[in-house]
Amino acid sequence: MPDNNKTYDPFETLHKFSLLWEKQINDFIYLWTNNNEFVKAANLGTELHSRYLESMKKNQEALASVLNLPTKSDVTNVANLTIQTEEKIEALEEQLWDLQDSVKVQAKEIEGVVEVSKDIIKLTKQLKTELVKTKKELTDTKNLHEELQEMKFEIMKLAGFKEELEALRSLMEKDPAHELTGAGTSK
Amino acid sequence: MAVNKSENTIMPNLAYERELNRWRNVLKIFTEPEPKMGHTPRVEVWRKNKSVLWHYPAKQRKFEIPLFFVYSLFNKPYILDVSPKTSVIEGLTNLGYEVYLLDWGTPGYEDKKIGLDTYIDKYLRTAVKRAIRHSGAEEITLVGYCLGGTIASIYASVADEPIKNLIVATVPIDFSAFIGPDKWAEGMRNGDLNIEHFIDVYGNIPPKFVEGMFRAIGAPIYFTNYTMLLHRAHDHRYVDKWRRMNKWTLDQVPFAGEAYRQLSTDLFKDNKLVKGEIVIGNKQADLKNIKANLFVISGSRDNLILEEQSKPIMDLVSSEDKTYIVVETGHVGLALSGLFAKIVDQWAASRSEPLN
Repeated sequence: MPDNNKTYDPFETLHKFSLLWEKQINDFIYLWTNNNEFVKAANLGTELHSRYLESMKKNQEALASVLNLPTKSDVTNVANLTIQTEEKIEALEEQLWDLQDSVKVQAKEIEGVVEVSKDIIKLTKQLKTELVKTKKELTDTKNLHEELQEMKFEIMKLAGFKEELEALRSLMEKDPAHELTGAGTSK
Repeated sequence: MAVNKSENTIMPNLAYERELNRWRNVLKIFTEPEPKMGHTPRVEVWRKNKSVLWHYPAKQRKFEIPLFFVYSLFNKPYILDVSPKTSVIEGLTNLGYEVYLLDWGTPGYEDKKIGLDTYIDKYLRTAVKRAIRHSGAEEITLVGYCLGGTIASIYASVADEPIKNLIVATVPIDFSAFIGPDKWAEGMRNGDLNIEHFIDVYGNIPPKFVEGMFRAIGAPIYFTNYTMLLHRAHDHRYVDKWRRMNKWTLDQVPFAGEAYRQLSTDLFKDNKLVKGEIVIGNKQADLKNIKANLFVISGSRDNLILEEQSKPIMDLVSSEDKTYIVVETGHVGLALSGLFAKIVDQWAASRSEPLN
């Protein structure tokens, strides 16, 4: 059943036909050109065209040379110089990058050294404080040592004294009568 | 009633309001200025030649490890910041990531001798160093999109810088598979199609040739984008998206000659990346040197990079933590829809040192 609401597009048919025609023409061209004869003829045509153009260019260069006019070849040479300069600047820029990178690395290394130095300074201060404390303790120890020496000397003296006393006591205990007689005889 | 029915079958119903909107929007495309891209706030960190390293600060930093985006050399990287709400970069900064983006810039004639090795050794390496220094992080996550993924992978295999994670999306690694005409690939590999002289003469590959190359590989004739626009022009959101996509698609950059020569010879012809034979500076770029956590995303509808081109990286790296997913999207759709931000966050959140 036909759809009465469907509208007519005049270009739809045209497009469908054009697709068909285009394909047919291209298929024909493909068949016409896809052979060795055509390839050789195309090669000959290209070669003739190139030779013709080459002789034109040579004549143009010759004429320009006589008239002292710059040609495209001269422009090419100048342009190549510019490109060479660009490449040199590029190389310099890359060397600058390398320098920048090495400076960055060095800066980082220096930062590291500074950090280590800070730690060393801190440690040295701590050691100094401890050294002062140790010195003080050493002085105290010396004083203590001297006192101990004095005490030892006193004890030694006391020990001598004790020995003398001991000797005296033993003498007294051994012969008390003799001591008394002796005393009467001398009278 | 019967009359009405018969009238309806003869004259189909037209939604007049829709038709008015359609033509109003089409008219706007021609009269209004182009939509503004790259709206997420950013600061320039470093500049060399035409390349600029941008920093997109996180709204509120939630991860220690920043994301470093490496985009393709073929297009402009503003596809990663294409519109508000669907911007990949905005999405990631909102989620708390510090984002860095290396915009290769538009090479001039004087840059014709810049090869993939110079781009990697002198531009990408320096930019990564700058990003690491700028972010203050110790590691970084590389995010490569398309050819940017190939460049990020090559760099990761020779990097001295601390790369914690490597994320690559729609990335060509194995160039033996090719989506374009096979005889062209064969011709380039056996020397029947040689563009060395062409590169020498032009210096750089002009944007129109780059565009032509992509057209030739995918669809040489391409006009369905315009019929699609006409078909959906009544929807102003679609028109806005179309305009942004169209601007980006047409906004191609020239490709430095030497880099293109290496891309076509070393990568496409000799497939040196898979063989581990590419040399950057004095180092051999062998993918087995990659030990970073690896996340690979492929699009199932990608019509430029096949899954077979991305998947081999999984077996070539030495990473222990590696994830491979296929998303239902196209080559550009992953970035254009903003889906990429969510996918990256889901994988990277646990690997980016979340800050408490």
